[in-house]
Amino acid sequence: MAGSILITLALAFSIFSMVMYFFTYRGAKNTLNIARMSYHAMAMFVIVASAFLMYLIITHQYQYEYVYSYSNDDLPFGFLLSTFWAGQQGSFMLWLLVTALIGVFLQSYTGKRDDLEPRVMMFFTLATTFLLAMVSPLLKNPFAYIWAEPMFLETAKINASYLTQPFLQNFMFSDPASGQNFVKMSRDLYATLQGAGISVNQFIIHGKGLNPLLQNFWMQIHPPILFTGFAMTTVPFSFAMAALLKNDYKDWVRQSFPWILAGSGILGLGIMLGGYWAYGVLGWGGYWAWDPVENASLVPWLISLACIHTMIVQRKTQAKGGIGKFVKTNLLLSILAYIMVLYSTFLTRSGVLGDASVHSFVDPGTIVYLFLIIFVGTFLLLGVGMIIYRWKYLESQIVEEENLLARELALFTATVTLGASALIVAVGTSAPIFKQSVETRFYNEMHVPLAIIIGLLNGFSFLLKWRHSSGEDILKKSKFSLIATGVFALLIILFGKVYDVMMILLSISAAFAFFVNAEIAYKIFTGNKKMLGAYIAHIGFSLFLLGVVGSAAYSKQFEVDLTKGKPVNVLGYTLEFTGYNPIENNTKYEFNVSVKDGNGEARVIKPIMFVSTFNNSLMREPDILEGFTKDFYVTPLSYEDGSSVENKPLGNSVTLMPNEKTSIEGADLTYSDFIKPDMSVMMGGGNFQMGAKLTVTKNGKTEIIEALMKKEEQGVTFVPVELKDADLRVELTKIDPTTKKAEFIIGKLSTPVVTTKPAEVLAVNASTKPFISLVWIGVAIAVIGFFVSTLRRLKESWS
Amino acid sequence: MKNKYIFGGVIAVVFLGMMIYLFTKSNIQYESDFAKVMSSERTIKATGTWVKEKNYEVNKSERTFVFYMKDAAGHEMKVIYSGTIPNNFESAQSIVVTGLYKNGNFHAKDILTKCPSKYQDKQNAAANS
Repeated sequence: MAGSILITLALAFSIFSMVMYFFTYRGAKNTLNIARMSYHAMAMFVIVASAFLMYLIITHQYQYEYVYSYSNDDLPFGFLLSTFWAGQQGSFMLWLLVTALIGVFLQSYTGKRDDLEPRVMMFFTLATTFLLAMVSPLLKNPFAYIWAEPMFLETAKINASYLTQPFLQNFMFSDPASGQNFVKMSRDLYATLQGAGISVNQFIIHGKGLNPLLQNFWMQIHPPILFTGFAMTTVPFSFAMAALLKNDYKDWVRQSFPWILAGSGILGLGIMLGGYWAYGVLGWGGYWAWDPVENASLVPWLISLACIHTMIVQRKTQAKGGIGKFVKTNLLLSILAYIMVLYSTFLTRSGVLGDASVHSFVDPGTIVYLFLIIFVGTFLLLGVGMIIYRWKYLESQIVEEENLLARELALFTATVTLGASALIVAVGTSAPIFKQSVETRFYNEMHVPLAIIIGLLNGFSFLLKWRHSSGEDILKKSKFSLIATGVFALLIILFGKVYDVMMILLSISAAFAFFVNAEIAYKIFTGNKKMLGAYIAHIGFSLFLLGVVGSAAYSKQFEVDLTKGKPVNVLGYTLEFTGYNPIENNTKYEFNVSVKDGNGEARVIKPIMFVSTFNNSLMREPDILEGFTKDFYVTPLSYEDGSSVENKPLGNSVTLMPNEKTSIEGADLTYSDFIKPDMSVMMGGGNFQMGAKLTVTKNGKTEIIEALMKKEEQGVTFVPVELKDADLRVELTKIDPTTKKAEFIIGKLSTPVVTTKPAEVLAVNASTKPFISLVWIGVAIAVIGFFVSTLRRLKESWS
Repeated sequence: MKNKYIFGGVIAVVFLGMMIYLFTKSNIQYESDFAKVMSSERTIKATGTWVKEKNYEVNKSERTFVFYMKDAAGHEMKVIYSGTIPNNFESAQSIVVTGLYKNGNFHAKDILTKCPSKYQDKQNAAANS
């Protein structure tokens, strides 16, 4: 109850603050302080509500549906933190919390700059209002009681001493399929419990627990950082709207700049951490799968990056007076970045992606669906509407001056290229709305040429001067980079064995960008260090591109069975499975694999497998031998403990085509005819049989036998044929109905069928990831670059 | 001035053309009616549920994972997936397989298991009878 009241109060203050800011903008005199105080009151209530939710989670208050659904009492504190954002309600709450906090800083920032505050804050509070409405008791409220909606609880979660109580029997249900018993929690049961003097917290003593995939360090830091990045896009949006409102476009770029830079840095870091989590935990071997949820965070980031590039041009061209170049582009992109955050939220939370994503949340219900559409629609109409409204004026302000060899044009091209990338990702991700979908190669193939262009621009634009440069000058400046890139290209072709033309081009463009930026960065390192930001960011990006080429295009993988104690060579490493041991109170198993690299240095890696009680599934966690030049990545697939006994027919394997003859064990065999299956039955998935008719001649005696494969409900069986006179045992092991090729095991009947005891076998998927370290290092460096630039632009933001 | 727009326009048209071409080439449709899946010759994303009664089979030597899926109308088909059993298979609410129906079997190159229980408790709704 307390939580819902806090949210409702915060919502009221948010609306009030917005209205007061609006009046202030319209010229009211005494409303600014009221608006500020209301904003702070709202932020306070949001903070208290979030702390309260955290308190409920830590103290295991299972009478709250959210706490019951996403936590359990055996979770350590760190994972209880993750519970906060493990579900839809909580992740909206997290988004709201960071937005409210950012608003506190934004209020103080805008309050000190001219008449900025009311214009910016009225749009910002509109955003907080929508988020608050989202977590309000009407929609996705994290403080909803467990009995508000009927819900089935496993009996294991209930205090056992109450299970036998007669009053409970009306609320017990069983699922005939799984044989499990459930208690139906509802308002009726709540009333009954109240009548019996039992509190719900005494009654429900365990929660459902947290998804094991979220139980790791990366999932403790990835969501808060990502949502901070999302929340930060609200700020450039508000600045753009404020500029449109006043019809004054001179100062907003300068004022918005530090926010969009910091926001992009944070969002980029958040996206990378998500990738690192996928790589280190999910075990499929990569960090980016073009999954809708990943894409949804990428699109706003790409748009922000695009916007930054033309914002620089607008800033620079303002020096000659006027509002500068690309004003419309900047306004549109600033608005679009936030709208894409909202659109992504709609895609991933409304259930429209249904079948497309592993992450996808289930259908949250019609009301939430409609609310999300209204949320996106409102901001889209406001943003685009304002631009259309001011279009005539903006057109009249266009500055005409074009020069091909100017940094302005290069930066604009960068914006266009980044925008194109955003468009590709947005189109592919939206396809499931129309019951379509694209393979990941759509994204990959579209991005290879774009990435080459981006890499070249990344280097080239820094060689260009503003307004005009001469070709001679460019050539002189690029001497070092061109030579270094040439050497690099030779090295990767000769020693890296990179022969794919597109990959060579991509590597060259990235290397060129790296050398240009590194050279300039080195030169100015001794000078004005705060100017370094852009170069650091672009060095990081070029390293990232190189890492992508290495790890994506030159990764090799291999599936291999490791028999205990028997070393196997895989991809230049020697692997030996040495046994397993239980960890974490026998809930998980570590499989020890000793890995020797080419230099004979041995290390032990420990991939993990366990059956999760949360979802009754086998979970596999990879282990990685990390190195600078390459990672060696091992995912466990399955384990056979060697205690099962297997019958193996003894004999030789023989493959025959129809009418083919062979001699074995003193007998002549002819595969005389293929026994056809009933095709229509086979197509329909019904029972059928097929096989081979064999003519067997031994010691002058001829017999005709049928070796059959039978397909029944239980599966496929092969019926062995025994020939007493010929002392032969013939068993079909494989037959192909199209080519009619058949495989048999043929042996002497007098030799008994042996029973073998297989050894302990661990099957793993092993892969090498060349230079994947550059992906992480590159992004980390780029993020540092964003923050250095933020500091510089923060100083410039004062008029 | 005019040249600028012509130049930009040509690039935009080439880019959009490439995008539309690749989109149609890499496009895969969702299909929840297995009768249509079985008659189609294109790669498809078939959505349905696992037929628990028929169990599944992990073929070690072929490295395949074989199971049966059915659609809402009860059409069943055998799915052969080249790879091992996915992590959440047993608890999956619904399954999306990407592949091609050929010679009486659906040959899947990708499996997506959907576990709504992760975010919302719906699996227990089955108990409601």
